[in-house]
Amino acid sequence: MNLAFVARSRLIVSLMLVAVVLSGIGGFATVRPATAQGGPELTMWLDVTGGSTVADCIVNDVISAYNAQGGPQVNATLQPNGWTATQTALAGGAGPDIVITPGPSFANELARAGQIIPLDAIAQQYDWPATFAPWSLELGRSGEQLFSIPNEVETLVLYYNKTLFETNGWTPPTTIDEMMALSQTVSDAGVIPFAHANAEWRPANEWFIGEFLNHIAGPEVIYQALTGAIPWTDPQIAAALEPLTQLQTNGWFMGGLDRYYTTTMADASSAFAYGEAAMKIEGTWFQADADTYFDEAGQEWDWVPMPSADGSEIYSLGIGSTYSINANSQYQAETAEFFNFYFSPATQATLVATCGLAPAPVTIPAENLAGLDERMARIIDRLATAAAANNYGYTTWTFFPPRTEVYLYEEIEKVWAGDITMDEYLAGAQAIFAEEFAAGGNPPVPARS
Amino acid sequence: MTSHADAAGARVPTSRYLVATPRLRFWQRVTWRRRVVPWLFVLPILLINVAVVFGPAVASVYYSMTEWSGIGEAKWIGLDNFRRLFTDDSFYRAFRNNLIWLAMFLTIPVAMGLVAASLLMPVRRGAMLYRLSLFLPYVFPSVIVASIWRSLLNPDRGIGATLSDWGIGGLDRAFLGDTDTVLPTIAFVDNWHFWGFLMLLFLASMQNIPADLYEAARLDGANRWQEFRDITIPGIRPTLVFMILMTSIWSFLTFDYIWVLTQGGPAGASEVLSVLVFKAAFTQLEAGYASAMGLTMSLLAGLIIGIFIVLRKRGWEI
Repeated sequence: MNLAFVARSRLIVSLMLVAVVLSGIGGFATVRPATAQGGPELTMWLDVTGGSTVADCIVNDVISAYNAQGGPQVNATLQPNGWTATQTALAGGAGPDIVITPGPSFANELARAGQIIPLDAIAQQYDWPATFAPWSLELGRSGEQLFSIPNEVETLVLYYNKTLFETNGWTPPTTIDEMMALSQTVSDAGVIPFAHANAEWRPANEWFIGEFLNHIAGPEVIYQALTGAIPWTDPQIAAALEPLTQLQTNGWFMGGLDRYYTTTMADASSAFAYGEAAMKIEGTWFQADADTYFDEAGQEWDWVPMPSADGSEIYSLGIGSTYSINANSQYQAETAEFFNFYFSPATQATLVATCGLAPAPVTIPAENLAGLDERMARIIDRLATAAAANNYGYTTWTFFPPRTEVYLYEEIEKVWAGDITMDEYLAGAQAIFAEEFAAGGNPPVPARS
Repeated sequence: MTSHADAAGARVPTSRYLVATPRLRFWQRVTWRRRVVPWLFVLPILLINVAVVFGPAVASVYYSMTEWSGIGEAKWIGLDNFRRLFTDDSFYRAFRNNLIWLAMFLTIPVAMGLVAASLLMPVRRGAMLYRLSLFLPYVFPSVIVASIWRSLLNPDRGIGATLSDWGIGGLDRAFLGDTDTVLPTIAFVDNWHFWGFLMLLFLASMQNIPADLYEAARLDGANRWQEFRDITIPGIRPTLVFMILMTSIWSFLTFDYIWVLTQGGPAGASEVLSVLVFKAAFTQLEAGYASAMGLTMSLLAGLIIGIFIVLRKRGWEI
């Protein structure tokens, strides 16, 4: 008998067993590092899939300021694919204290699963109804209770190359008819009417679908469709999407469908800035990069509201993210306290003016936005005014149920390709929407007052 | 004191045996060392495998029969998801695209790999350079390769545009933006990265074929084609069949190049089953339905393996 071998075997086997036991324990353990002050530490995962510039700014200019107050500390982790990571962690009973989702429909699912807590009492405690726009807290409801706070209010407008317009004597359109006529004029001048592309982000289709629905059929019709009062096969809806198909088939988006499908965002923006393309229907997020392209090209940009059928000023509302409190958080009261800081007008002003983030639906005093680009300040002001006056429309990623949303932006390409008719497309949308509506999977839609 | 029965059945004191054969503790016994210790060595990886492969696989079978958003509770709906598959045009379209992909990858890279390996076999000078240069694309990350090719295929700045400037027209098209050309174009990019791998495996296999077989064939007057058909192919048959099997399975799992280049577009022309599963699970919040599609993909892969096993049992030399 080789006793040395036996001794080694015993040691190895013992170590293995210990390792196995420890790895099993480690897999379920949650490590919560102690803070410098020894007080509560709130965890927060900031998504950096599209880059970390904004997240770094949030950490350096907002979270650091909060932590410097000396109370509960916020530990922000920059997390690629943040939503997928959050979703997985929550399902496993863990996840950050501060739960960030990509929109109300996702928060609604978390609420239905009991993974986030109701915020009604907290909202009353901090008087959030006085801070937030009335429609916005309605968006965070699931059933009768408030579960999420909408953040990053977005809208879409018609950007135009001001230098190019002035050179050619063109006037920005206010109605859809004017926009179609101008597109023909621009095209005849050898310029691409719209710098649009979806090679890197195929859901970009939904920007245009939403804009044409809201600005031609009108928000009231879309509200009726979203609440099941009229079907998506309504002739008004079909008529609203026909001009979009016309723009695509005329090759007015980036010069043709094949170019629309293969041009990168950077190339499209560059063409726009250099005057190779005249206009761009895009969200407020474009402003963060607009100056980079236009400064390089030595030209100027500006914006007007997206033209509508009758020339009325309508802004579609979009929510970029929502904030909630993890049901498994040890620090729910502390997290609520942080929310009160984060969504205060002063903090939001910092996020907008310094980080270039779209604001939460709170009223930010004009003096707090000093230094902000006048064009961005004008959008914030006009959007708030329009929303207060009920002149707001519905972006697909905020108000539409997920399957319907994906169907709308994916299958529209078959209409553009001539594979299916507009009626067939909308009949498919209606079938899917009816299923989701019946199952209660549609996000909340605030009543139009 | 205890006692044992000896060979004749008489009771004798145990102490007699302790002197002759020391009593072994359980970990010292041969049975333990041969049958149990090896399992303890593989236990950690086995547990990990159970946790991250077997467990989720079993869970996905369950979830395929539920209505589940991927968040919260799942609702049992039996086989409804599978019934829905049979009426889902997107599923049929994606499945058809997978079959086209399979046909492309069972022919083009296999043929290219065989031809290149045959041509490189007799090469001695610079052999490593040739092999390395043809294999190199395989080691690049797919996202990088796809991004580079997206730029190269740009109709205004890519290879086509450059050739057009030199007077060679016809290639300055948006191949990825045309429903007729998008799938073959992505397959071309994927194949650019993949076929060198096949070539290297075939080459390694060919090097095991005894050289005297070729000499004998040449003495009998065989030409290159006859050598290839009657010596090389039978000589590498196990490798060839295995790679055909693996390529068939991989064809049903293909995702990365399609996702990076087109995300299944335009108009669904490049959508395959894995892309459909990803969208269903993560953008449409239909994890239950996505599980049903994923399970169907696994069954298709199992079907391919089953066909090979049946053919082998029937005496096919594969």
